[in-house]
Amino acid sequence: MSQFLQPTILLLREGTDTSQGRAQIVSNINAVQAVADVVKSTLGPRGMDKMIQTGPKVTISNDGATILNLLEVVHPAARVLVDIAKSQDDEVGDGTTSTTLLAAELLKEAKPFIEEGIHPQIVIQGYRKALELALEKLEGFSINISRDSPQEKRDTLLKCAQTALNSKLLANTKQFFSELVVSAVEKLDPNILDRDLIGIKNVTGGSVNDSFLVDGVAFKKTFSYAGFEQQPKRFENPKICLLNLELELKSEKENAEIRIEKPEEYQQIVDAEWALIYEKLDIIVKAGAQIVLSKLPIGDLATQYFADRNIFCAGRVPQEDLLRVQKATGGQVQTTVNGLNPETFGTCGLFEEVQVGAERYNLFKNCPQSRTATIVLRGGAEQFIQEAERSLNDAIMIVRRCFKANKIVAGGGAIELELSRYLRHYARSVTGKTQYIVNSFAKALEVIPRTIAENAGLNSIEIMNKLRQRHAQGGEEGRWYGVDINGASGVCDTHSSFVWEPSLVKRNALCSATEAACAILSIDETVKNPKSDQDTKMKPRGQPGRPPMGMRR
Amino acid sequence: MSLAFDDYGRPYIILRDQGSKKRMKGLEAYKSNILAAKAVANTLSSSLGPKGMDKMLVSPDGDVSVTNDGSIIVEKMEIQHPTAKLLVELSQSQDAEIGDGTTGVVVLAGKLLEQALTLLDKGNHPLKISDGFDRACDVAIKHLETISEEIDIQANEHEALIQAACTALGSKVVSKRKRELGKIAVTAVLDVADLARKDVNLDLIKIQTKTGGSVEDTRLISGILIDKDMSHPQMPKEVKEAKICLLTCPFEPPKPKTKHNINISSAEDYKKLYQQEQQYFVDMVKLVKDSGANIALCQWGFDDEANHLLLQNELPAVRWVSGTDVELIAMATGARIIPRFQEITPEKLGKAGSVKEVQFGTSNERMLVIENCQCTKAVTILIRGGSQMIVDEAKRSIHDAICVIRNLIKDNRIVYGGGSAELACAIQVLQYADEVSSVEQYAIRSFADALEGIPCCLADNCGLNPITSVAQAKSRQLQENNPRIGIDCMELGTTDMKEQRIYETLSSKKQQIQLATQVVKMILKIDDVIAPDDY
Repeated sequence: MSQFLQPTILLLREGTDTSQGRAQIVSNINAVQAVADVVKSTLGPRGMDKMIQTGPKVTISNDGATILNLLEVVHPAARVLVDIAKSQDDEVGDGTTSTTLLAAELLKEAKPFIEEGIHPQIVIQGYRKALELALEKLEGFSINISRDSPQEKRDTLLKCAQTALNSKLLANTKQFFSELVVSAVEKLDPNILDRDLIGIKNVTGGSVNDSFLVDGVAFKKTFSYAGFEQQPKRFENPKICLLNLELELKSEKENAEIRIEKPEEYQQIVDAEWALIYEKLDIIVKAGAQIVLSKLPIGDLATQYFADRNIFCAGRVPQEDLLRVQKATGGQVQTTVNGLNPETFGTCGLFEEVQVGAERYNLFKNCPQSRTATIVLRGGAEQFIQEAERSLNDAIMIVRRCFKANKIVAGGGAIELELSRYLRHYARSVTGKTQYIVNSFAKALEVIPRTIAENAGLNSIEIMNKLRQRHAQGGEEGRWYGVDINGASGVCDTHSSFVWEPSLVKRNALCSATEAACAILSIDETVKNPKSDQDTKMKPRGQPGRPPMGMRR
Repeated sequence: MSLAFDDYGRPYIILRDQGSKKRMKGLEAYKSNILAAKAVANTLSSSLGPKGMDKMLVSPDGDVSVTNDGSIIVEKMEIQHPTAKLLVELSQSQDAEIGDGTTGVVVLAGKLLEQALTLLDKGNHPLKISDGFDRACDVAIKHLETISEEIDIQANEHEALIQAACTALGSKVVSKRKRELGKIAVTAVLDVADLARKDVNLDLIKIQTKTGGSVEDTRLISGILIDKDMSHPQMPKEVKEAKICLLTCPFEPPKPKTKHNINISSAEDYKKLYQQEQQYFVDMVKLVKDSGANIALCQWGFDDEANHLLLQNELPAVRWVSGTDVELIAMATGARIIPRFQEITPEKLGKAGSVKEVQFGTSNERMLVIENCQCTKAVTILIRGGSQMIVDEAKRSIHDAICVIRNLIKDNRIVYGGGSAELACAIQVLQYADEVSSVEQYAIRSFADALEGIPCCLADNCGLNPITSVAQAKSRQLQENNPRIGIDCMELGTTDMKEQRIYETLSSKKQQIQLATQVVKMILKIDDVIAPDDY
């Protein structure tokens, strides 16, 4: 009898949730769909925004990565989607929504196969093959744009920036902002293109058209002590001294012991302290500095000392601003004033303190070694500016990418359709199950133009038929037909209407979407441990950590 | 939130705290957003115009404020709804940038949203509507510029500026005294204005309030008023030809910043220490005296010992003067701020015609007035009024007036008020609408309707029949081709706003239309609201 008596084996902790098998894959796919549905309506030039309230803070955004991040997705499989959106954001900055949609659509297409009993690995193989072909073709299709003259290059960059801004709140002023973004990126060192050197400052008030670019650095007036107003607020070609030093009367050492016998000596101690700070100030003045900036506080004594000598000073300058001042003016941040060398001073064409809205800003303009730029954004509401900043960020990233790689493809869903056509054609030449799967991949690609059309309130079925027909004619002619949201027919040659995107964006989107889809398809079991009490306490709300999960191939 | 189910029909959680989140999508989201924003705008609409009403707002602590200023009202309403908050910020951004027209901008946004709602009901795509609004906004702005007029701010003793200030003050509780207050505001701004750079630093105008007296007693002090008195009651109440010594160190024996303690072992030492301390006081007073100063203002305090010595040496002194005041005094009198006694030199002293202590009413409150400063770059407006509420509202009104004058100095183009500018723009936008062949045509037409909403609202608030008066004004504008015809709110018998001298700055009007359009566009673009359910 003993062979019938199965002893209970406790393998996992109580409360652990396990699910496995085919059903698991299908359920993961469903979860991914639900998440992708949220961002779906943000795609394209007529994409809508989402308003998400987290605690007291309200965010209005059109940016796929931002929305997914704020949704606080906890489902383990769906989180993969959030991660690819983020990686797309980090890598190329734009195209986060399309990546997410593409991944979800690939999974949706895979679902019937899984349900019919095709092994997930075969689907994965098929997708990988299709991706390989698609990427190869993408290279072939992308257009090398001539950029012999700087003017042509600039034009291309402008077009790409405009395409990126198309779907955002700033769409109506995209001309203006694309100019701003391109000019800002052009200021950077073309070899490095460090994103951190473009500062974006937000000032509420005014209209968006009042935003402006400073070819140098701008930062908000720092906290100032009495006497600050007596300092001059405008310099031409000033000498700028950058410090990481506290200029304040303070106890130099906490645990010093000095013994004095006579009351007269008491005065000497006091004098010594004053002498210390005066010595520092004196060195700075003697070295000929006209503007003194410090990361650490500059006290009232120093403020007045400088005011008496017509020197401008600002303490508690934020780190990144000081860094940008350093880059722009060619100065070096000093941590001591001993042996202060005028050679470490930076300079700029014009320094000025100006009123922007309700704030006062310090502007350093016409910097000689200007390798940095600052965009001062204006707008009606806080949320508006924040969204504008995110949009500009996307545009800056795109322009940066474009700066190096000079290959572009046409947007508006044209390239996806063309790849789809090619893959369908190819599928017919293979035998076996792969044929179906490559076909599904081709079908999934169509989600991009379809969604753009849907979001624009167009009849997507009609548009898709028109587009497929155009592309099926083959050759150069129909290649760049995409969704046209303005015209009556709904389709147009997006290449000639200058909806351009760097091919790198598409390449990265295709890769990461396929990778994500494959990763989700290959999971057949989830083991979810019960939350330990400690864990919930440790993690503050609003920063969702990845819940403990086990993955097994 | 939408739930996903696996094949066994089990729902599973995708988002954190999924159950407690609320999601609104599509048309439901637009409508709820628009209605919330409209509710805010409706609250404000009765405050618009010269006969607009005030709101009484009670804060959680029971403080009551009565105001007519749009940005203050929405701020104190403590609005929770996220979309409605956008309107609050809209009003505040108008306040930060222009300072005036904070009610108008919210009312206009409300009218635009109202129009958008009807368009949505007709099945228009929200982005088409916002595109249309945007194009209409451009047309309106361009038209505003063509009908604007440049005024000479210098002519006729700054008459134009005073009129503009009066327009700003017209809707406030102090409107009875608008001419006097307007003059005060104009003089104050011109005193501190840098006409060459067309810049006005409003920090240099200090507005001090004091309850008591009446609004008529409000006056401008070409100098500085500080809410302090002489440190000793026997010190002279007035110092003529004052030489001011501004100190940021206390009248005390110096202390090193390093932590220290003093050990005294014998009575002799104690005496020595005492003498030393006395010596310090004597030296300090002597140093101040020697420099020629006849009054000392100190940012810190000083003890009775020093106070007594100062009195003996006939050196009037003021203690605990705030840092911002010290700075203002320094700017006005040309004084340099002195961080320690050893550095006092005659050059560092500031000069003023007189420093005197003034007393108000029967209460024992005294203030110090520094007048006829060497370089008058700072002025103070002292506002009086029957109650704290009136004084506060008067302060806000004067602030609005000052902002208007500043804007005129920056840009001397004006448009005429009384709803005439909006009407003129509406007519222009309506004409433009017919030229547009696409769906946007409807949105553009609605924009014109929304603009007409402003004069309607004005007329309504003045007790006029809104439809008749707007229709009359509109037809006259068209017939006479005169963009200055508006609503005769004050019933002066003429609807020509040039004759009524209702001036508004172009920059303010432009900003109003632009900001309102911007926010409406933003609200229209939201199709999905995800929020915690509990609120």
